[in-house]
Amino acid sequence: MNKTFIFILSLCAPLTWADAAIQNGTLGFVVSEFAYALGPDAEETGACPDGLARNLQEIYILESGAKRRQNESEAKFEKRLQAAAKALGTAENGQDLCQNPEAGSPDPYFKTVQGSGFVVEGIDLDGKNSPEDFNDQAGSNGVDNQFYRTVGCSRSFQSTGQSNGFKIEMLAGSWGIVFELSNVDDIYNDEHVDVTISANADPIQLSAARVPLAFATYAKDQSADFRGSTTGRIVAGVLTTDPVDVRFHSVVNSMKLERPLLDARLQASFSDDGSLTGILAGYTPVEALYDVQYGYRNAMAVDGQLAPLALRQGSANGAAHVLGHTCHGVYHALYKNADARPDPQTGKFTAISTQYRFSAIPAFIVDIETESANSGLKQSREYGSDY
Amino acid sequence: MITKRLFIIPFVLLSVISGCGDYGSRDALSEPEPVGGPPLLRRLTDSQYHATVADIFGSDVPVVARFGRALRSDGLISVGTGEAGISPFSLEQYDSAARGVADYILAAERRDKYLSCAPENVSEFDENCATDFVKKYGEKLFRRPLSDAQIARYVDAVKQGSAHLGDFYAGLKYGLVGLMTAPEFTFRIERVDQDSNGVRQLDAYSKATRLSYFLTNSTPDQELLRAAKDGELDTPSGVEVQVRRLQSSDKFELAVRAFFTDMLEFDLFDDLAKDSEIYPAFNSKVAADAQEQTLRTITYQLLERHGDYRDLFTTRETFLTRALGVVYRLPVPSRSGWEKTEFPIESGRAGIQTHVSFLGLHSHPGRSSPTLRGAAIREVFLCQEVPDPPPDVDFSAIDDPEGNPMPTARDRLWAHNSQAACAGCHKIMDPPGFALENFDGLGSWRQLENGAEIDASGSLDGLDFSKPSEFGVALSQHSETPRCLAEKMYRFAVGRDTVWYERSYMDYLIAKFEEHNYRVPELMRTIALSKNFFAIAAHQEHIAELADRSE
Repeated sequence: MNKTFIFILSLCAPLTWADAAIQNGTLGFVVSEFAYALGPDAEETGACPDGLARNLQEIYILESGAKRRQNESEAKFEKRLQAAAKALGTAENGQDLCQNPEAGSPDPYFKTVQGSGFVVEGIDLDGKNSPEDFNDQAGSNGVDNQFYRTVGCSRSFQSTGQSNGFKIEMLAGSWGIVFELSNVDDIYNDEHVDVTISANADPIQLSAARVPLAFATYAKDQSADFRGSTTGRIVAGVLTTDPVDVRFHSVVNSMKLERPLLDARLQASFSDDGSLTGILAGYTPVEALYDVQYGYRNAMAVDGQLAPLALRQGSANGAAHVLGHTCHGVYHALYKNADARPDPQTGKFTAISTQYRFSAIPAFIVDIETESANSGLKQSREYGSDY
Repeated sequence: MITKRLFIIPFVLLSVISGCGDYGSRDALSEPEPVGGPPLLRRLTDSQYHATVADIFGSDVPVVARFGRALRSDGLISVGTGEAGISPFSLEQYDSAARGVADYILAAERRDKYLSCAPENVSEFDENCATDFVKKYGEKLFRRPLSDAQIARYVDAVKQGSAHLGDFYAGLKYGLVGLMTAPEFTFRIERVDQDSNGVRQLDAYSKATRLSYFLTNSTPDQELLRAAKDGELDTPSGVEVQVRRLQSSDKFELAVRAFFTDMLEFDLFDDLAKDSEIYPAFNSKVAADAQEQTLRTITYQLLERHGDYRDLFTTRETFLTRALGVVYRLPVPSRSGWEKTEFPIESGRAGIQTHVSFLGLHSHPGRSSPTLRGAAIREVFLCQEVPDPPPDVDFSAIDDPEGNPMPTARDRLWAHNSQAACAGCHKIMDPPGFALENFDGLGSWRQLENGAEIDASGSLDGLDFSKPSEFGVALSQHSETPRCLAEKMYRFAVGRDTVWYERSYMDYLIAKFEEHNYRVPELMRTIALSKNFFAIAAHQEHIAELADRSE
C-alpha cells in the first residue's frame, strides 16, 4: 500500500516535499520551533489589575523603611537588599524556599491572570467550557491553558521576557523532539494515522545561520519513557492526535531535567513548504513543571548524578530574582490553578493544562542506538522523580 | 612537446574523435616500440608531501603547511607539477614544514626513536653520528643514496649548526631542514640511463620513484629502493614483482584516490562557495564529505568489487553521512561516520556525476549551471576540451531578474544561443548539462524550476536519454569514456601530456583496458609494466622514426 502511494503521487502531481519526506508511508518531523503557547501581554488584556509578580527584593522594598536610606552607599544598600531577599527566601524552618517551596506560604505578590474573556493560544483539552477557559482564535470558548493563567502576570513571560526562549538549548543540541507519522495514505485527509512523539536522541542539525535543516536524520530516544505512541487523523490538512503521555528532555545551566506532558495531543497543520505547525498540549504534573521551569530540585549533572545543591539552589534563586517571581509563589499558584489529575485522597488537582506552540520540519526518524550526547540524558531517569 | 588537443568544434568533433583509433596493422594488444617523453622535474603534490613525511618519519608527525595553489595542466595537477615553479610563499611553507618535522622528531623525548647514536657530549659535534643520520634520512628523503659530496655537504651543515647553536641536536635539526628544503626532496628529479640496447630510459632510482608515486602516491619504501639498488628494476620480471607487491599493498587505494581526486578536480573545493540563503545545508563538512563520498564509491566499485570503470556512471551504490543525507534527502541512521547505502530508484540519481561532488562543484554559488556541468562532463570524463567563451558574450538574455517567461535554464540558454558566437559550443556543452538539471546548484533533487517542469532529455553524441539516470547510461556507453580514463591515467603516471607519437601506445593501453573489461587496477598495471612508462624520448627525429616503426 505504501509503495503504491508514492507511485500514485509521482504520476498524478509534480513531486513535492512529501515525496522526499515520505518513506514507505512514514513521515518524519523534527521540532524546529518550540515555546509555551500563551496569551497576550498583561497590558493588552488588563488581566493583571494588581500589576505583575515581584521577586523577593521587590517585595522587601515595599516594606516600611526598606528603601535606600540617607547616607547609605549603593553597595551597602545592595547588600541589605540581598540579605533581606535571602531571609524572605528562607522558610521558618531554615530551608531554602526554591528547593522546598511547600515550606512557604502562598505569595500574595505572585500575581496571576484574572478573567478569561480573551484569546489565548491553545486547544480545548477536556471538551468542556469552564469559567477558567479562554477563547480561541475562532472566538469559541474552551481553551484549557492554566499554565498561561499562572504565568501571564510574570514579567519574564511577557512577549519581551526571557522565560519563553528555552528553545535556545534545543537549537544548541541539548534536547529535541521528533514526530513520526506512519501508515499515512494521504497527507490531506486520512482517517487513521499512527503517531509517535519522542524525545530526539540527536542534536538538531543547523545551517551556518543557525536555522534547522530539513531532511536531516534523527534517532528516537531509546527509552520508552521518552516515547509516546498514539493514533490520529488528518482532516483537510490538519492532524489531530489522541491523548498519550509523553516526556522530553530539558537543559538549564548544563543541568538535565525532564519535561513530561500527560494526555498530550497534537493539533497541527501541514504547510506547502513541508512544515507542520500547531499546538502540542496536555497536562503537566505540578511538581514536574515546577522542577523543569523554576526549582530544578531533581536536576542531574552531566555525569548522571544529582547536580550539586549549590548549583540547583543558586540557579533557582538566581532565576527567580532575574525573572521576577518567588519560588514558593509560583509553586502554590501552579497548584491553585491546576485542573487535572485529582489526588485520589485529597481530591486536589495535581496537574496543570500546558500548551506549547511548535513548528516542525521534515526529517528522517530512525530507531537505533546512537552515540548521541543526548542519549546520556536518559540516565537521569534513574535519579529523577517519577511523576 | 608536440601535443594533440581535442578541441570541441561543431561539425568536426566526431570526425576528430573517431580519427584517433586506427594507426596501422600492428596488433593492438602488443605494446609498440617505446616513445617516452622528457625526464621531468615534478614537484611533490600536497598529498604526496604529507604521505612521504608520514612514511619516512611516522604518521604522527605533524605537517603544518599549505604549499601554494597547484597548477592544473592538461586537466591534471599531476601534469602541472612538472610545469610549475616554486613561489617565495611556497618556499617559506616548505621551510616551515621542515622545521616543524625537525622539531618534532628531534625533541628530547622522541629523538632516540629516530637516531641510532648519541653524542658523548651534547654540546659538541659528533661526526659519526651526524653522518649516520644524514645517510639514513638523506636516502629516504632524496629517494636515492646520497653522493659523497652531498653527504659531506649536509654533515657540514650539521657541524655548523652545532657550533653556532651549541647543541648537537640543534645542528641535526639544521641539517634535516636542509635536506627537506632541498630540490632533491621537494621535487622528483628524474635521471636518465641507457639500456644495453642504447635506448634511453629512467635510471633505477627514478623508476622506483615513478612507480612508487604512481602506485602508492608516496615515496619508495625500503624494498623498492633495494630493488633499484640491486638492478631488479632494469628487468621486466623485477618490475613485475614490485608492481604486484605495490598493487597488493594497502597504499594502492591511496594512489587510486589520488588519481581521481586529481581527475575530478577536487582541488576546486578549496574555493567553492555557496549562497547560504539558497543552500543552507552547504558547509565545510558537506564539502569534505562530498569528496569523500565519491572517492569511497570509486574505490568500492573499482577495488573492493573489482568492477568496470564505466559502471561508475550508473551505480546507485554509495556511502553517506548525515550531513550529506540532508542534501540528498535520504535517511542516514548512523549518527557518526559513513554508511553504505543505495540511491533509491525513484530518487532519479545514479552515477558519480549525480553526486554533490560533481553537481555542487560545477555550479554557480546560487544556481545550477548546465553550461558548467556540461563543460565538465566533456572535459573531465570525455577528455574533450571546450574553448573559453568569447569575450563579448551578451548575458543580458539569461540574467533577466524578472525571468518568469524563461523559468528553466533550458529556456534561458535557448535565448542565449540565439547568438551565433555562443551557439556552437553550447550545442556541445548544454545537452549533458541539461541532463543534470533535476539537481539544483548544490545537488538536491528538484522536479520544477521556477514552477516549470524540468526537461532533462537530450542526446550525448547520438546516445539519447530522457532523464538523469539514462544520461548516466549514455555516458557509460560513450566510446570516449574509457579512452579518456586511459589517457588521463597515463598522463597522471608520467606527469606530462601525451605526445603525438604516442598514438599507438594509447591505442595499446585502450585495447588492453578493454581486454581487461575496463578494470582500473589492470590499466594501472599495464601502464606500470609497459616499456613506455620508463622510456625517455630521444631527439625529435628519433621519436618520429620510432613512431613510424610502431605503426
